[in-house]
Amino acid sequence: MDIQVTFVSVNQRGQPQRDQRRVSGTSFTVGRGSQCQIHLPDARVALNHAHIVVSETGAVIDAEPGRIQINGRESEGARLAAGDRIDIGPYTIQVDAAPPARPLALTVTLSSPRSRSVTRLVPRVLQRLPDLSKRRLSYLAFGGVLLIFLFLPILPDLLQGKPLPVRDSRRVMLNEVIPAVAGGFTQTWSPGPLSRSHQVFGHECRACHAFPFVQVRDLSCVACHKTIKEHVPAAELTGPRGVAFADTRCAECHRDHKGMQMTPRSEEQCADCHRDVKGAAPNARSENVTDFARDHPRFRLSLLDADHPKSIRRVRQATPPSAEMVEHSNLKFNHALHLDPGGVRDPEGRRDPAGMRDPQGRRTVLRCADCHQPDADGRLMVPISMERHCRQCHSLAFEPEVTKRQVPHGSEKEIVTMLREFYARLVLGDMPPDVNPPHDLPRMRPGAVLSYEERQRALKIADGKARQVLRELFETREVCSTCHDVSRKEDGAGWEVAPVRIAQVWMPQAVFAHAKHSTQACVTCHNVRNSKDAGDIAMPDIAKCRECHVGARPVRNKVTSDCATCHGFHAGRDYWLGTLQAQMQPRGAK
Amino acid sequence: MRQHQSILEYKNGRYLKLALGLCALAIGAYFWQEPPTVYLKPYGGTELGYTLGIVGAVLILWLMLLGIRKRRYRSATGSLQGWTSAHVYIGTSLLVIVTLHTAFEFGWNVHTAAYVLMLLVIVSGFIGVYAYLRYPALMTANLGEEQVETIVQKIADLDRKCRRMALDLSDPVNAIVMKASRAGVREPRVRTSFRRRLAGDKVRCPTREACGALTRVGAKFTGEQAKLNQQLLTAMTQKSVMLDQLRRDRRYRAILEIWLVAHVPLSFALLAALIAHVVSVFYYW
Repeated sequence: MDIQVTFVSVNQRGQPQRDQRRVSGTSFTVGRGSQCQIHLPDARVALNHAHIVVSETGAVIDAEPGRIQINGRESEGARLAAGDRIDIGPYTIQVDAAPPARPLALTVTLSSPRSRSVTRLVPRVLQRLPDLSKRRLSYLAFGGVLLIFLFLPILPDLLQGKPLPVRDSRRVMLNEVIPAVAGGFTQTWSPGPLSRSHQVFGHECRACHAFPFVQVRDLSCVACHKTIKEHVPAAELTGPRGVAFADTRCAECHRDHKGMQMTPRSEEQCADCHRDVKGAAPNARSENVTDFARDHPRFRLSLLDADHPKSIRRVRQATPPSAEMVEHSNLKFNHALHLDPGGVRDPEGRRDPAGMRDPQGRRTVLRCADCHQPDADGRLMVPISMERHCRQCHSLAFEPEVTKRQVPHGSEKEIVTMLREFYARLVLGDMPPDVNPPHDLPRMRPGAVLSYEERQRALKIADGKARQVLRELFETREVCSTCHDVSRKEDGAGWEVAPVRIAQVWMPQAVFAHAKHSTQACVTCHNVRNSKDAGDIAMPDIAKCRECHVGARPVRNKVTSDCATCHGFHAGRDYWLGTLQAQMQPRGAK
Repeated sequence: MRQHQSILEYKNGRYLKLALGLCALAIGAYFWQEPPTVYLKPYGGTELGYTLGIVGAVLILWLMLLGIRKRRYRSATGSLQGWTSAHVYIGTSLLVIVTLHTAFEFGWNVHTAAYVLMLLVIVSGFIGVYAYLRYPALMTANLGEEQVETIVQKIADLDRKCRRMALDLSDPVNAIVMKASRAGVREPRVRTSFRRRLAGDKVRCPTREACGALTRVGAKFTGEQAKLNQQLLTAMTQKSVMLDQLRRDRRYRAILEIWLVAHVPLSFALLAALIAHVVSVFYYW
């Protein structure tokens, strides 16, 4: 069965054109799909918009609700009769009176063609977000970040204080304001806070970073840290590790921009070499160690010898102590006697701990602190001195029955001069009020005028008296020899007092602060209550330290102590700067 | 033909595995290689720090190449889908690699600025992935078999039809329809347009308001007038529905576009910060 479909279109001159077709079948699809029998090529028409079914009884159209209008009214389906008008999107389909042998005749007209103004709207609807060009924003972001984080920070360094290459106008603006502002941006390059002591020149990057694109060099460090020393004496910097170690930059260990502290402390780092120190550097003279609690060797004491002042003996502590563990100070001293709980004889009377004197009492109990006082920084003890610590009891009175005057301590020559002048004055009749006239000296009659000969004779007598008193001091009366080895010189002209040297530091390689140990009594570590000889050494053993101190691994109720608790790294004798300069000298120049 | 495959599932997550491998490698190296240097906490300047930094920088440069690759339609170096999949996963792996490079050291400086920019780029990228996974489906569901062009045409037709129908009705009705008609698809100032687009159908719609007004006015009509008014209301409602459809479509398009407006310029800011970071580190080494 064929139906007749007439498409009416408008040609270029605006005249209607009719295109009549025969379409065969009984069921017809109307839509914009090309497979549709009644093809309506417009986007406003659905793919399969409506169906027309033709049968013996007539034609019926149906479509989804809201899609078609029949005679101006919405419809889902209807029986078609001649004169009906169907609106499908922009098309109008007129049902014509059917010609013979055709069950249905339709005229299709595009009643509302696409308007050009509406077509122009479409791109605007689909338009991208206006004025937000990704490209322009990208250029802006890239340039802005480069300006803030690269150009401005680097500008002061590139200028190096020179003016910007511009004309003179606006000079202040360009040459002062911009570099000052840019200097602030330089701080954005700092990766972290500087150590406390470096903050003072923190704005001056070149102070340490001397050359662009070159790592910080040791020369920058020793420019200020001139007195920093090598780790060990240069002679011991041997072996694979030792030599490599000499090439290590300061900054390998001391990294700045890491906060307040830039001093590394680490047990493992020391143990790296010191667990096999001879393997690391064959000339090393220390013993292996990894941890204070575990395997620290016993202490080596540095002992002086008063008769050989240039030599230092390093003797390791042992049980029983080695025969070498004796101090040769040339001094006689008995700690046991001085620390007698019953006290010592005190010629000026008893003293109580507050220093008050009681002339009736004759014995004073001495405490360690009466002689051993800490120095200003609380680390060591102030050296013992005759004047301050001994003389109160050990008087150097040369003739106690005659006068309380004392000879000076130290020089035989000064003593001789002093004695000769003293006795000459007595002999010549000038008797000071604090002197009882001695019986064995001739006395002048008051008002007598002496002849030259008489004066010479009198002075001779005074000299003889001085010599006699001197001999008593050095030999017979045990004044000097109480503490010193005194011997008569071989030529007989005077006496010789053996030189005295007392060690101040027995363990120079360890840092020890007495002030930090003030909770302990002196005798806890230095037990001298029974020491009768000045040669005795009362330095504590490592076992004594370990009563309180453990190694790097914390232990309950103990003091955690890593290597750096007692030892400094830069402990060598040679200056780091010196080694650097030696390295920088051209080959063969040495 | 294979079903559509999202970039996340590309080749069975090949690049996901690659990225996870990279992260695992970086984390492993961080925890196994750093302990020997106990005296210094890990930081960007150790050997591993430099390595992670170089890897991160190279990856960032490579990720930025996607912008070039996607414009080279004739290029045969991998499929664009593969590139995008790798871009997403490798880009995400930077979160681990670069964070380890920083060794968790942050401050007010160019270094942290570069890091923060990288985080912003990655976060905007996440928004993009979310948008690409979610909105194309919503767009299809919204438009159905329609196209923007046809909707615009239909709205114009309905508009014309409504105006014609309103001619037969009273003056107030005519005024209501004319008012809705004038407020077509307009493109006002940037910011407003921006907000209006992202608001989608949650905006004041003159047509929707006109429908309400017509209902109120129409209640008084009787007979033929009421019937005409009812037809007009139907057409206006259709127009309102289509307008909302169009607005939703524009909203989806805007979202699909806006993350990239952040992502791309931020990437270039990151590239600049990266250059400044590297130069600053080695200038004052």
